[in-house]
Amino acid sequence: MAPSLLHPPSQLSPAAALELSQQAPALLQSSPSTVSSSPLGAIFSASESPELWIKYENLLLSCLRTGDDLAAQQCLERLAARFGEDNERIMAFRGLVKEADAQHPGKLEAVLKDYEEILKENDTNIPITKRRVALLRSMGRVSEAVSALVQLLDFSPTDAEGWSELADLYLSQGMYPQAIYALEEVVILAPNAWNIHARLGEMQYMAATASGAGGSSYQKHMAESLKRFSRSIELCDDYLRGYYGLKLVTARLLKESGKPAKQNDEGGLRLPDTSTIERLNELATAKLSEIVRHSTAGDRGWRGYDEVEVAAARELLSEDASAASRIER
Amino acid sequence: MAQVPVQTIHRDPQLFYWILLPITAVMILTGVLRHYATVLMASAPKKLDQKTTREQRALLRGINVRGNFHTLAKPSFDVRRDALTTAYESGAYLKSPENRGQAPPNPLSDPSSMEGMMGMMKNQMAMIIPNTLIMSWINAFFSGYVIMKLPFPLTIKFKSMLQAGVATKDMDPRWMSSISWYFLCIFGLQSVFNFLLGSDNAASQMAQQMGGMAPNAGQMFGPGVDPDKQFLAEAENLAVIEHYSVLDGVEQRLLEGIKV
Amino acid sequence: MTWISKAITLFGAVLLGHACYSAQEHSALQSFKAATATLTSSSLAVASLPVDIAIETVIAIIVILFGLVLGTRPLRPIQWRVWAGKIEREGEEGFMDNDGEVNKDFVGNPFKFLETRPGFVDIRKQRKEFASWVKTSSAQ
Repeated sequence: MAPSLLHPPSQLSPAAALELSQQAPALLQSSPSTVSSSPLGAIFSASESPELWIKYENLLLSCLRTGDDLAAQQCLERLAARFGEDNERIMAFRGLVKEADAQHPGKLEAVLKDYEEILKENDTNIPITKRRVALLRSMGRVSEAVSALVQLLDFSPTDAEGWSELADLYLSQGMYPQAIYALEEVVILAPNAWNIHARLGEMQYMAATASGAGGSSYQKHMAESLKRFSRSIELCDDYLRGYYGLKLVTARLLKESGKPAKQNDEGGLRLPDTSTIERLNELATAKLSEIVRHSTAGDRGWRGYDEVEVAAARELLSEDASAASRIER
Repeated sequence: MAQVPVQTIHRDPQLFYWILLPITAVMILTGVLRHYATVLMASAPKKLDQKTTREQRALLRGINVRGNFHTLAKPSFDVRRDALTTAYESGAYLKSPENRGQAPPNPLSDPSSMEGMMGMMKNQMAMIIPNTLIMSWINAFFSGYVIMKLPFPLTIKFKSMLQAGVATKDMDPRWMSSISWYFLCIFGLQSVFNFLLGSDNAASQMAQQMGGMAPNAGQMFGPGVDPDKQFLAEAENLAVIEHYSVLDGVEQRLLEGIKV
Repeated sequence: MTWISKAITLFGAVLLGHACYSAQEHSALQSFKAATATLTSSSLAVASLPVDIAIETVIAIIVILFGLVLGTRPLRPIQWRVWAGKIEREGEEGFMDNDGEVNKDFVGNPFKFLETRPGFVDIRKQRKEFASWVKTSSAQ
């Protein structure tokens, strides 16, 4: 199914992005080239809808991605004609276009300087601050990006997207406790976001594997990982990612169950007992195989899963099966 | 049962074209005009500087933590609670820590809050002036006679409303004068404006009246509210939370709730 | 199942139309009778609508309602986990409206942006990835 222009395109595959950006000429032609920003003009000119501007924004992003700079420029001009040059989002998009154009590091420095100029004038310009963080990160200056982001989150601690980016930055540096803290802030802001719960579970799992088995923090991380995955499934029926993580965690815990685990009693989360873990593992296996079976067969009502994710689940299941048969032999 | 004799009044059919329709058209056009006047007069929302943003959002964060504490495990919640309560109590998030403990400035002398009041005044004016004008216009030209008969019976209580300007004691309240038609238009054109101008138009006066009744969310950070007091109250709210977590026993719930 | 619902609705509509026609005919007959009655100066017979027409009307309305309800799509889930599971499991397919188009306000997982973070998009990296994708796919 063709991707819709109404959704932000950043997670699409290259093929889908290409398909989107090829819609550019048609859309640019079919919609009026200028929509006046003054309310008096709005009486006489063509009607506008929020969808149109969302489309322009997303088209701009996909065109930049596929290198169709001309169309991107056109989209930007139309947005700027409607919302004015000093709109914060428009400023961020303008910066984005410049970033995409920049050929060598000197130009990037210039863009960075532009951002700093804008921020000097108005230090609450959140879109530009975010662009600056992204550019710093893209240039490899991660520690600067982190400090800029932390500053942003200091004066705007209700920005879930910022916290999520911070978690990702810390994770890329291997700083698990900080990353988990940042992601927990996202969970506070969006308590029912099942994908964030699953992401937190993944991070806890990574932190556990990085800290190595046996330590008390290992137990803690594994326990929370297990619970986070469980919560994500509780929030979302048949959540492939949640079951995948649950299976991974329980399988690992079961493998290590021979060793006596010393539980810390500091009021943290405790691992459930072995029989519960076993049952969870069985549940995850059964659910995963059900999902994989239906999804591979292309059954009606089961086609929403990402193919890559289904393939990964299938692999995990077959590994599990081969391990089981080895034990039987 | 005695039948009330049906009153018949012979009216000029031209009344319909020369009074009813013009009043309606004028009302609709004024509504549209008022909408655009308000849009034109509306000043852009004032930019907040970084410190104010920080103060407000820090408080919001505390409220969020208080509202969604159950998504966290106990250790992570305790860390946040300790950090937030100490910061709130020490006034770390305040815009101007040196002003702590002083009485909040009088909202009338504060120029920033004056601006908000001016905006409200402007809106009120945009509503009152056209209404007064139209009412005096109708009173001057069309008062003193009835123009139409409502197709449904009414009790006597409606007489003063519907026959304003017509001093006839025994007339059936179903007969209405032009000024009554004007009042009906004020209250009844709501959906017409919604259709013409979109649902969040400024012409709908009912919305304005409702807005005046219920204090909106912006009131929280409005002038005259001492942020320090808010922070202290929030710190107290955080301190008394009895923590539980959705993560407690989630695997049991899962095993019970989901059957393969 | 749509043709069943359509057939039932149509049947109900025919029934309703018939009831209307009967009522109209009945009143025409009555007025004719009344006219002749005044001519012959006999007693004025004011008959109300026959009960079978009233019953037919009520049944027709019930049948039409039944047909329409039968033809609607299944209701959207109101439980969070069921709704979320539907998004994950069925994707866009689960959110078609009657015309077979994806519902306009369907956005997939509404929390997806917390992971994709459009505000922090690294456009240079995406361009590079796209260029290499073009190269590999054209090489094949």
